[in-house]
Amino acid sequence: MNGGAVTCTLNELMASTISRMLYDGELGFVGIGTAGRAFTLAVGIPIVAARLAQMRHAPDFTIYWGNLLSPDLDDIPESPLQDTYTRWPAAAALSDTGQKLDMLMRGDFDVSFESAAQVDQFGNLNITLIGDPKSPRVRLVGCLAQPEHLAFVRRPIIVCDLNRRTFVEKVDFITSVGHGGGTRSRRDWGLPGPGPWAVVTDKAVFDFDEGSGRMRLRSLHPGVTPEEICDLMAFTPIIPAEVGTTPDPDPEDLRLIREKIDCHRMLIRA
Amino acid sequence: MKEKLTSLADAVRRIPSGSTIAMGGNLLRRQPNAFIREIIRQGIGDLTLYTFASSTPVDMLAAAGALKRVEGIYFGFFGLGMAPNFRRAAEQGRIDVRDFPESGMVVRLRAAGAGLSFHPLKTTLGTDMARLNPDQVREIVCPFTGETYHALPAARADFTIMHGYVGDKYGNIQIPVVRDSDDIDQLMAKAGRKVIASVERIVPHEQIRANPTLTLIPHVWVDAIVEAPYGAHPCACDGFYDEDVEHLEMYLEAARDEQAFDTYLDRYVREPASHEAYLECVGGLKRLEKLCVGEVV
Repeated sequence: MNGGAVTCTLNELMASTISRMLYDGELGFVGIGTAGRAFTLAVGIPIVAARLAQMRHAPDFTIYWGNLLSPDLDDIPESPLQDTYTRWPAAAALSDTGQKLDMLMRGDFDVSFESAAQVDQFGNLNITLIGDPKSPRVRLVGCLAQPEHLAFVRRPIIVCDLNRRTFVEKVDFITSVGHGGGTRSRRDWGLPGPGPWAVVTDKAVFDFDEGSGRMRLRSLHPGVTPEEICDLMAFTPIIPAEVGTTPDPDPEDLRLIREKIDCHRMLIRA
Repeated sequence: MKEKLTSLADAVRRIPSGSTIAMGGNLLRRQPNAFIREIIRQGIGDLTLYTFASSTPVDMLAAAGALKRVEGIYFGFFGLGMAPNFRRAAEQGRIDVRDFPESGMVVRLRAAGAGLSFHPLKTTLGTDMARLNPDQVREIVCPFTGETYHALPAARADFTIMHGYVGDKYGNIQIPVVRDSDDIDQLMAKAGRKVIASVERIVPHEQIRANPTLTLIPHVWVDAIVEAPYGAHPCACDGFYDEDVEHLEMYLEAARDEQAFDTYLDRYVREPASHEAYLECVGGLKRLEKLCVGEVV
């Protein structure tokens, strides 16, 4: 991350990488909540990426954040209490959460951002439980609307740190359906969306092989080797003969992130 | 219009053990905690819950051993972490947990609210929520297009309990113009055979009548209405007060240990004889007023 003149952080690299994956005219969903690193991955980095995309190449990229459509994201408080959410300026806060779910199911969303306790080689995600579903070793939060994202959104982007505990061969529980590994294929089920599109981690970027549905290394962050990647995953992804390096954010990206989008470091925290 | 204003204790006495309860509120907002504490005080148990994102209700009822089964989309404390008592009970197999995606609960409640017995859904296709729950998620084929769907049963509840905002003595409950609408309280209310609601303030019917479009829950759906200021505490009621982070952190600290949390339940739930006594116990109105937000009009 210091190949060029300006040094950037890993989080800035992840945000600028994702921003280049967002296109003009698209509608993207970002969740709310959680704390610490999980907040940075699920909320902070996606919002920085979306705003950077709006400022650089996708002025008409639209953000749906929680229950707010096109919210004002100029000033994000560190620990918002309820009243901050209640009064958050936005183009729309529809009458109930069911409205957002209808929009998901009818295919309005182009992009979404996913974090998970487990991700497997086909991009199946688990946020529900660890261990045997009949007597879980660790009970997690449930499902939220992540199953909708993987079922209906055109290009869900998984944002997770790379480690063996998260990147498992087979998820203990399929909360959200990836490219295979279940009893039937997405097409056989008739799932309308094409499934997870990319995986952006702190070490590398992946996509999915169209034939096998398996995760495939797309680019390595500066200074990271394929061996290092394999050590951090419980399965071996497809590694093409030629793997590029994830491009650094350009100086203008960094200036916008640091001076305009996240000047108080409220989005990229941990 | 029939007058439905009653006391918290009287409203809760109508709920027999073994009931299925649909629950208003979402995350740390408008959870019907005054009702939950009264349910525990009255020793009502063997309950099945239908929830959206449930925090304190599912966690306190799990700690009190009052839950048989829960069906919902999320069990946790939002930015403050997991739901420790719920988690322990689920990991020890003391609660039957049925997970549903958000759209799954929404369509099940919509079906109940529209008098239908099931609703089709695509979201659960290929998931383990479906594979592990053949009782409630079954494959069907659209008679017009041949597409595969899951059929999910209507979430018809014996009771809906909910908290929020203002209402009149007839049970009309109104929203403020500026509010956090990230909930499905109206769907929850419509899915319950009987609706028991608490509000921050009972207001004159004339105030309700002046703005009928602000009525979220109409009197004909409601069986009992209760005035319970700070009825969502320690959670927030948008437009009235924020979540009590200090109390929630103390709650979560106690919840790390089963015995320690039983002491919490004694002190804050079983021993205070009423909601008013609970409010004194958590610091009294002087302290609670500090959580209040400016009225939003």
